[in-house]
Amino acid sequence: MHPILGNRERLAIYMLVWLMLGGMLAAVFALPKDFSWPEALSLAVPLTLLYGSICLSSYYLCRVFPLHKSGFAQLLLLHIIAGFLTSSLWILIGNGWVALLERLNLFPLLSARFVSKTPLLVGVGFILFSLTVAVHYLIMTFEASKESEQRELQLRILAQEAELKALRAQINPHFLFNSLNSISALTTQNATAARTMTLRLADFLRKSLRLGAQDSIRLEEEIALAMNFLEIEQIRFGSRLRVEKQIDGPCNNCLVPPLLLQPLVENAIHHGIAQLVDGGIIRLRVDWSGSVLHIQLQNPVDPDRPKNRKSGIGIENVRKRLRAIYYTDAELLTTEEDGWFTAAISLPAQTGGSYSHRLKRGGPNGLSDVSNK
Amino acid sequence: MQTIRTIVVDDEELARGIVLEFLTPYADINVVAECSNGFEAVKAITELKPDLVFLDIQMPKLDGFEVLELVDKNLAVIFVTAYDQYAVRAFEVHAVDYLLKPFTKERFDEALLRAREKMSRSHTPPLDKVLTAARRQEVPLERILVRDGSRVNVIPVDTIDYVEAQDDYVAIKSQGKTHLKQQRLSDLELSLDPKRFVRIHRSYILSVDRLARLELYAKDSRMAILKDGTKLPVSRAGHAKLKRLL
Repeated sequence: MHPILGNRERLAIYMLVWLMLGGMLAAVFALPKDFSWPEALSLAVPLTLLYGSICLSSYYLCRVFPLHKSGFAQLLLLHIIAGFLTSSLWILIGNGWVALLERLNLFPLLSARFVSKTPLLVGVGFILFSLTVAVHYLIMTFEASKESEQRELQLRILAQEAELKALRAQINPHFLFNSLNSISALTTQNATAARTMTLRLADFLRKSLRLGAQDSIRLEEEIALAMNFLEIEQIRFGSRLRVEKQIDGPCNNCLVPPLLLQPLVENAIHHGIAQLVDGGIIRLRVDWSGSVLHIQLQNPVDPDRPKNRKSGIGIENVRKRLRAIYYTDAELLTTEEDGWFTAAISLPAQTGGSYSHRLKRGGPNGLSDVSNK
Repeated sequence: MQTIRTIVVDDEELARGIVLEFLTPYADINVVAECSNGFEAVKAITELKPDLVFLDIQMPKLDGFEVLELVDKNLAVIFVTAYDQYAVRAFEVHAVDYLLKPFTKERFDEALLRAREKMSRSHTPPLDKVLTAARRQEVPLERILVRDGSRVNVIPVDTIDYVEAQDDYVAIKSQGKTHLKQQRLSDLELSLDPKRFVRIHRSYILSVDRLARLELYAKDSRMAILKDGTKLPVSRAGHAKLKRLL
């Protein structure tokens, strides 16, 4: 696509510039009194506009010989030859135009005076051609850089999407295998409990598939999923696992990325409850202040456990996801104190629209009417 | 009929339940204990000396491998776990079989058959060395487990001042106490973090941050003075290693 011909605005500006050049050329003709103003204008303006149109074709030359891929000497020679050829062609056409004007008897004795201007016109034609070439190269460079910028941006978006997909919590296969083992044990020991567990497991799997496919879900749904998970684990761990939750009502409607809580809850079981002989309580607390939603999950840990057993990629993935979605507006802090491990998420409280539009200011739209407790 | 004394170790009651259920048809299997964590397992295995143990890997206090490290090795072990990534290590410590949860009755019977075969062969391979070899490839030890009778002491390596070789044992000095463990000093040296622990002498490994200063006694003969005033001999090679680290 021609960068000037293909763009109306650019073409208009381009021809306007050539119109001005035509005016200037007319002045060059008229000021030394060789031509009258009407003669000069009727010669210079149409010819200049025509030349402007011819010079547009230099783009094709520029395209075949791009700036960075061709040698400097080669380019110089090429454009000098092209410049002289084009300006010579222009002079020829100019002579034709003069002959036509004479034939029409508009201006007498034009051709003799026009011929005297030939060296000037060849020079002007050459310079104007070179300028057009330069403009074309400039536009091409500008478009190439814009294009590469766009391509880079697209690649970044693609990479980010892929990363988000990878970070999205996957159902831990060991959770599945352990649950299936519990069901296998229950079938003979307590058939009703086996059925209950099967149904809970099915419920959990279906919900996590459905919610995981969405961009954002209501916190209430996320918490329900986590509770569903904990109910299943409660069958496995029996009295070792207890759950406490304290949720500030309005927060339920906040939008969060799906399966954000899930890795944290799994972590609390795997590195907390499962490592303790007597188990303990998992505490979930949700509240908000201003426009920030706070989600806090606490679990007891064995203080003697080997420290090099890292808290796991689950937590790190949640952190990366928060960064990818909210940039610096959200964070996940983890602390360990007095035998309690705490994971605390704070993120913008939003109730409508997509969270990809970051909340800039103001209170959470759905929460602002609720008085602070 | 000779009975097979068996212990079932798993932190989940249901998981123990299915092992017990699958064992019921076998009249010669005598389940002498059920344990729900690593400490209990070490105590039960040490005191009851079972022939066969069904051992979970992920448990509170000690994992299955740590339990095996602390008990006598003349017993058949069947690992029972939901994790498949430990299989190689399990066979390195000469486990009879490795059952992946959930398992079928047929698969369970097969494991039991293998255990019987192994027990009838009576001789057991020297597991000790194999265990250390398996340990060596891992990240440096974060804690040392020492069994005192049927009790298990967990010594975080941060609390160790130094370790002294005593015949077949190592004496681990930590927080004013001495813990004896049947291990060679060179084996322990390999499993400790070389940035924090230096073999300063044929008989001593020193925790570097306990060192206060070095004193020259005679030519090529130095003493390490620890922060609590303890003096330890430093060999020439030990001194070179210390200098490289500091």
